[in-house]
Amino acid sequence: MAIKFEQVSFSYPSFDGKNFSALKNINLEISEKGEFITLIGETGSGKSTLVQHMNALIRPTTGSVTIYGIKIEKNTNKNKRIKLNPLRQKVGLVFQFPEYQLFEETVQKDIIFGPKNFGIKEEIAIERAKEIIKLVGLSEDYLSRSPFNLSGGEKKRVSIAGILAMEPDILVLDEPTSGLDPKGRDALLELFTSIHKELDKTIIVITHDMNTVYKYASRALVMYDGELVFDGVPNSLFSDKHITEWNLDLPDIIQITKQLEEKLDIKFDSKPHNVDELFNLVKGAL
Amino acid sequence: MNTIEIKDLSFSYSEDITALKNINLVIKKGEWISILGHNGSGKSTLAKLIIGLLKADKGDIYVDEVLLTEDTVHEIRRKIGIVFQNPDNQFVGVTVEDDIAFGMENLNFEREDMINKIVEYAKKVDMFEYISKEPHALSGGQKQRVAIAGILAMNTDIIIFDEATSMLDPKGRESIIGYIKELNKEGKTIISITHEMKEAVNSDRIIILKDGEVLAIGETNTILNDKEVLNSSNLELLLPLKLMYKLDEANIKNEKVKDILWQLSLNK
Amino acid sequence: MKNIIVGQYIPGNSFLYKMDPRSKIIALGLLMISAFLFEDISHIVYMLVGVLLILKIGGIPIMRIARGLRPIMILLLFTFSFQVVFIKTGDVIFDTELTLSSVNLILMILIILTWYFTRRYIKSRFLYLIIVIVGILTMLSLFSPGFKISSSDFVIYEDGLLGASFIMVRLIIIVTLSTILTLTTRPTDLNLGLERILKPLKLVRINSEEIALIISIALRYIPTLLDEANKIMLAQASRGVDFSEGKLKDKVMQIISLLVPMFIISFKRSDDLANAMEARSFIPGNPRTRIHILTWHYRDTLVMIFCVVVLASTIFVRVYL
Repeated sequence: MAIKFEQVSFSYPSFDGKNFSALKNINLEISEKGEFITLIGETGSGKSTLVQHMNALIRPTTGSVTIYGIKIEKNTNKNKRIKLNPLRQKVGLVFQFPEYQLFEETVQKDIIFGPKNFGIKEEIAIERAKEIIKLVGLSEDYLSRSPFNLSGGEKKRVSIAGILAMEPDILVLDEPTSGLDPKGRDALLELFTSIHKELDKTIIVITHDMNTVYKYASRALVMYDGELVFDGVPNSLFSDKHITEWNLDLPDIIQITKQLEEKLDIKFDSKPHNVDELFNLVKGAL
Repeated sequence: MNTIEIKDLSFSYSEDITALKNINLVIKKGEWISILGHNGSGKSTLAKLIIGLLKADKGDIYVDEVLLTEDTVHEIRRKIGIVFQNPDNQFVGVTVEDDIAFGMENLNFEREDMINKIVEYAKKVDMFEYISKEPHALSGGQKQRVAIAGILAMNTDIIIFDEATSMLDPKGRESIIGYIKELNKEGKTIISITHEMKEAVNSDRIIILKDGEVLAIGETNTILNDKEVLNSSNLELLLPLKLMYKLDEANIKNEKVKDILWQLSLNK
Repeated sequence: MKNIIVGQYIPGNSFLYKMDPRSKIIALGLLMISAFLFEDISHIVYMLVGVLLILKIGGIPIMRIARGLRPIMILLLFTFSFQVVFIKTGDVIFDTELTLSSVNLILMILIILTWYFTRRYIKSRFLYLIIVIVGILTMLSLFSPGFKISSSDFVIYEDGLLGASFIMVRLIIIVTLSTILTLTTRPTDLNLGLERILKPLKLVRINSEEIALIISIALRYIPTLLDEANKIMLAQASRGVDFSEGKLKDKVMQIISLLVPMFIISFKRSDDLANAMEARSFIPGNPRTRIHILTWHYRDTLVMIFCVVVLASTIFVRVYL
C-alpha cells in the first residue's frame, strides 16, 4: 500500500474558539498503481484536508498516515531525522487554483522548479519539461511563454505539468475542473485518464461533478461532515440509499434513465453508462 | 418596452485580441435572458461594457433610452446591479450587514431606511441569522446571496449574474438559480451569463456567443431545438437533448418519448 | 485555517463597552499624557491603582491584560535590571557579595540544565525563569563552599530601585490603557472613531473617510490574505520547497515563490474589488451616508470631564509641587 490512513482525526481551533474537527477517524488505503479515485462531498466536508495529509503537508491530530513506509503522526515533524520532502515527490498534489503555484518568468522555468527542488539536474529537468508540456496537451513553444499570459485552462495544464515533472507515483488534484467550461473540463479529464492509463499512475480527483465520477472513476470516496462515509465503486455508490443524506446528486445519465423508465413505464435490461448505450436501449424498447 | 439596447458594439483588449465584434442586442423589460458561451467567448466583457466598467471601441449602449457615456455612467449604474463570479472579491463590508449597506451608503440612503432594507433583504436571501458574521465565516454561496441582497437593497431594475455560480458547489449553485427565478417572477430584468446550458433552460431567451460574435439569439425553445447551432457552439448539450437529436437522426419518431425528453431538458 | 481573528476584541457589556469609541480614544490620549507628566513614584502608583480600578469596574479580567503585557516582558525586565544595576546614587539598600566557588558553579550548571530541559513542561515559563535567576543569585550570595573562583559586589541603591520601578509602572500603565481600548472596542468601531476624530483634517485636504474605508477593507481582507498565503505555502511545499531549511540562495527563491503568487492574486483581487465597488455606485470622494453612527452619551461626557480633571491636576502637581 502506498498510502494508509489509520484512525486519522484532524482538528483545529476555529474562529469562535471551539475546536473544529475537519476529519474524524478516517481509515483508508490507496495503492500505488492503477487506481482512478474520485473524492466527493459537500464544501467543508474535509476533502481538501484529507488530501493534504496524503503528502504530509499537514499531520494528523490523532492516528497515523503511512506514506511509502514512513509513518506520519502528530509529532513527526519535531523529529528531524524523518525527511518529509521525498514523500512530496512521490505524491504530487495539484492545488485548485494554478495561481497558487505559478511564479516563474517562463513556463519552462516553472515546470522545472519542482524537479530541481528534489535534486534533479537542470538539463534533465528541461528534457522532462519538453515531454511533459506535450503530454498535457500544449505545444513546445509554450515553454518560452510567460505563465501569466495564458488562459485559465492553459494555466491549469501548466500547473499540472509542474507536478508531473516531479514524476510522482500518485497524482492528487483538488477540484481541477472548477470554473472551466464543459469542453475544457472534458479535455482535462481525458488527460487524467491518459496519464492514468499510459503512465500507470494512481489519480485522485476531488470533484463535485457526479458525471465525472460515473464516467471516469474506478473508485469513489465520499466525505460527509469529516467522516469517510463511502469507499467503493461508483456503481454501488449511485444505488446506495444514503446518497441523498450525503447531499449528492445522481449522474445525469442515471437520472434521465430513471425518469424515462418511470414515465414510459418500462424497465431497461441494463444500466447505460453513456448516451449511446441509452439510445440503444430506448431504440430497443420502442 | 426595451430596457437595454446594444448597437454594433465592438471591443478589444489589445490590437490583436478582439473580445467582441458587432454585437446587436435588445433586452426587454422584465425578461430573463441567458448569455451562453465558452470560456473566452466575450460574455463577461459584454457585462462589463453594459455597466461601463469597460469602454467600447465602437457602438452604443442605451439603458432605458439613455446613451451610456462618461456623463451618464453613474446614472445607469443605479439601474443595473451585477453579481460577479468570485464571491470573495466583491464582499466589501467587514460584516454581512455592512456589505448589504455598502451600495445604499454610496447612494446616500437615509439611515433608517437602510436599516429596514438590510433586515428585509437579508431575510429575503435567507441570511438574516448571519447578519453580523464576517465573510470568512461564510460559504461561497452565502457570500453570493449577500451580494444579491446588496443589489436588491439598491432597488435596481436590472440584475446581471456574471458567472455568479461557477465557483460554487452544487448546493450553492442551486440556491442562486432559485433566487434568479424568483427575482425574475417579481419583475426584475435578468441577464445571466453562464457556460452551463442547464442554467439557461429556464430563461425566456438565449443568446449564444462564440469567439466574440453572436452565434445565435432567440427564444429558449427555438435555440434548444436548433441542433446545428448548438453543435457548433462549443457548448455541451444537455443529455436529454442529445438523446432527442439521436433519435431524430435515426428517424425514430415517437412523440411521447420526445415530449418526455423535452420536458427533462427544461428541468421539469 | 479558520482561526484568524484581527484585533483582540473580547465581547462584554460593562460601561467600557458602552462608551463611544471617540471618547475612549481621547481618554486614552489624555491619560497617557498624564502618565508621562508624573515625576514622583508615589503619584504614578496612585495612577496604577486608578487604572486597576477601571479594570475592576470595567469587568476586564486581569489575566487578559497580563497576556497583553507578555510581549513586552523582556523589555520591561531589561529596563528594570539596567536601571537597578547602573544607577548608583542615593542610599544603599542592599549589599551582598556574590561568590563563585567550585561547588556552586557545578550546582549552577546543574540548575541551568534542569531549567533548560524542564521549561517546556512548565506553564508559566517566564515566572520559572525569574525564580531560577533569583535562586541562582541567592545561592551565589549565601552558599559558596569549596575553593573560590571569583567574587564581586552586588549593590542596589535606593534611586536605582525607585527609578526602575517608576519606569516599569509607567510602561505597565500605558500598555494596560491601550489594551483596554483594543479589548473593549471592535476594530470597525475603532476605525469609525478614528475617522470621526480625524475629520477636521479635511482642512488640510486629508479625507479621513477614505482612510477609514481603506482600513476597513484591509481589516476585511487580512484573514482572506493570510488564508491565501497559507495555501500558497502548502502548494509550493508540495513542489519540494522546504521552508525550514536550505541555503541563503534557496531561501531567496523560496520567498520569491511565495511573494509572486501572493502579489498576482492580490492584484487580481483588488481589480475585481474595484469593479465591484464601482458597480455598486461607489464614487471616490463623493459623500456617503453611513449605516454606523456613533452616539455620544452623558457617560462619555463624564469620562471626558474626569480625564480632563486628571490631566489638569497632573499639570498642577508637576508645576506647583
